Amino acid sequence: MSRRTKSPSGVIDAPLDVAAQAKAREEGRPSVRDGRLKTYEPGANVGRFLELLGRRVSRPLAVSLTACVHCGRCAESCHYFLARPDDPTMTPVWKADQIRKIFKRHVDWTGRVAPWWAKAGTPDGDEDLNRLKNVVFGACSACRRCTFNCPMGVDTALLVRFTRGLLTELGIVPEGVFNVSRDQWETGNQMAVTETDFLETIEWMRDDLRAELGPGADIPVDRPDCDILYTINPREIKFDPRSIAHAARIFHAAGASWTLPKWGWDQTNFGLFSGDDALGAYVSRNLYEAAERLRARRIVISECGHGYRSTRWEGYTWSGYDQKLPTESIVAVLRRYLEEGRIVVDPGRNLEPVTFHDSCNIARSGDLVEEPRQVLRRVCADFREMHPNRQENFCCTGGGGLLAMAEYRPLRLEAGKVKAEQLKATEAALVCTMCHNCIDGLGDVIKHYHLPMRVVQVLELVSRALVLPAGS
Amino acid sequence: MPIIESEGLRIEVNEEGFLAHPEEWTEEMAKVLAKAEEGLDELTPEHWAVVRFIRGYYAEKSLAPMVRKMCQATGFPLMKIYDLFPSGPAKGACKVAGLPKPDGCV
Ligand code: SF4
Ligand code: SF4
Repeated sequence: MSRRTKSPSGVIDAPLDVAAQAKAREEGRPSVRDGRLKTYEPGANVGRFLELLGRRVSRPLAVSLTACVHCGRCAESCHYFLARPDDPTMTPVWKADQIRKIFKRHVDWTGRVAPWWAKAGTPDGDEDLNRLKNVVFGACSACRRCTFNCPMGVDTALLVRFTRGLLTELGIVPEGVFNVSRDQWETGNQMAVTETDFLETIEWMRDDLRAELGPGADIPVDRPDCDILYTINPREIKFDPRSIAHAARIFHAAGASWTLPKWGWDQTNFGLFSGDDALGAYVSRNLYEAAERLRARRIVISECGHGYRSTRWEGYTWSGYDQKLPTESIVAVLRRYLEEGRIVVDPGRNLEPVTFHDSCNIARSGDLVEEPRQVLRRVCADFREMHPNRQENFCCTGGGGLLAMAEYRPLRLEAGKVKAEQLKATEAALVCTMCHNCIDGLGDVIKHYHLPMRVVQVLELVSRALVLPAGS
Repeated sequence: MPIIESEGLRIEVNEEGFLAHPEEWTEEMAKVLAKAEEGLDELTPEHWAVVRFIRGYYAEKSLAPMVRKMCQATGFPLMKIYDLFPSGPAKGACKVAGLPKPDGCV
């Protein structure tokens, strides 16, 4: 397979590191013991891969597998190719072809009848499957920019996720993907935050909030019958609770009825990245059930791209849950508060030039495009667009879970070239994004390309501009 | 894996600048990591208070502590951690303390 073609240098030879898998097996970790999380066994993987491929191919996938006419138009939309314009293995079509040719050989009749004509192929062994892993995890951030620019409607990122899912079933995954999936399966959140840790951090933020706003201010946990069930990213608890404090200040000023759930608070979902629909279902279901248990009227998702896409869109399908409550982003709520006059803001408190980075999973795959702009125009004195923007924006480089896969970082940063150029051209001091992944992806690009910028989130800018009612 | 060479030390780090062999961490390495990764010319007693706490916690639990615990142990408010380590608790403080990269979206 890929060995006989050109290969994306820098990532294609990344070995399969199974140390963490071996350790998890040895320790009898529950997710591994009960088979929710698969570990690698040398041997019959190619056969198993082909069997899964045949069984799982759905209609939309079959369209993306067969409709490509190899016109090459998608190449220019991919940030990997723009950084390496002489390398055909960076094109979306080459990446998709790595799974397409296996499909053609084994599932599609053209490849079965005339494999040489259909350019069909079979993986040689586990080594080839590992190379496939390095293509679909290491050379694509699943940003779907190519999808939007394909005249045939081929969804390369869908093929990439599908292939990731097959490999996840065989334990042929980057170590970071294994570790995070393990933690999310076993603790309900991707950073293994315990309930005590969660409650203590909230208590700490609550104390700080009351010191500022008085004893009436609160960060409620598990309060029933609220309007909003607020769900967050575990890194907000573990490493950066400033965003929880910002949200709480704004909810307080707006007089919102809201609560965090004690369980089901992690809106991130590694199932989207690993291609494991079962994990996707488990995590999203936790949120939907929390909302039902607490009789909340809506689920609100903190600033997170893949969490938004997973909870607001994909999770409904993965979980098969009869989710009737509205699910929306905190940014949509902020926009409403501003429109209804429930909060008052002073853009004079955000004087530095601010630009906005659209997260792929929010703009392209989540259809939330104008709301953040409407908010930023109200809370910043100098808001300027980055170009291209909205659904045409380029990835922060950290999409598709790549931040959890250190082995692919050099190529990822190289592919950040166009993002760096985009950022630089705005001459903004701050780049605002509504995604925790993008914060780090952009932060890495800024550091690597020495840009004089800082990354902020919408909540931070709104919180800074917030004019609190007198007496609070 | 990349190597940082400075002050007569050769330090092997992963692609993200986290120590490749966390068990080999020394205070001299912390200074080099702080300079190379965080642009800090000097580690003040306040930096050391955070770094030593993280190190001790990691030695005991093989885990990165929550930022809550860092603040509790040192008595610093949350914003102080960001003042001390520009890249924040995970990519800044934990890196200087020689921990491996924490798992997840960081
Ligand atoms: S633009 Fe579409 S049809 Fe053309 S090569 Fe790319 S995926 Fe294939
Ligand atoms: S999804 Fe994004 S990173 Fe992947 S091939 Fe398409 S444009 Fe490139």
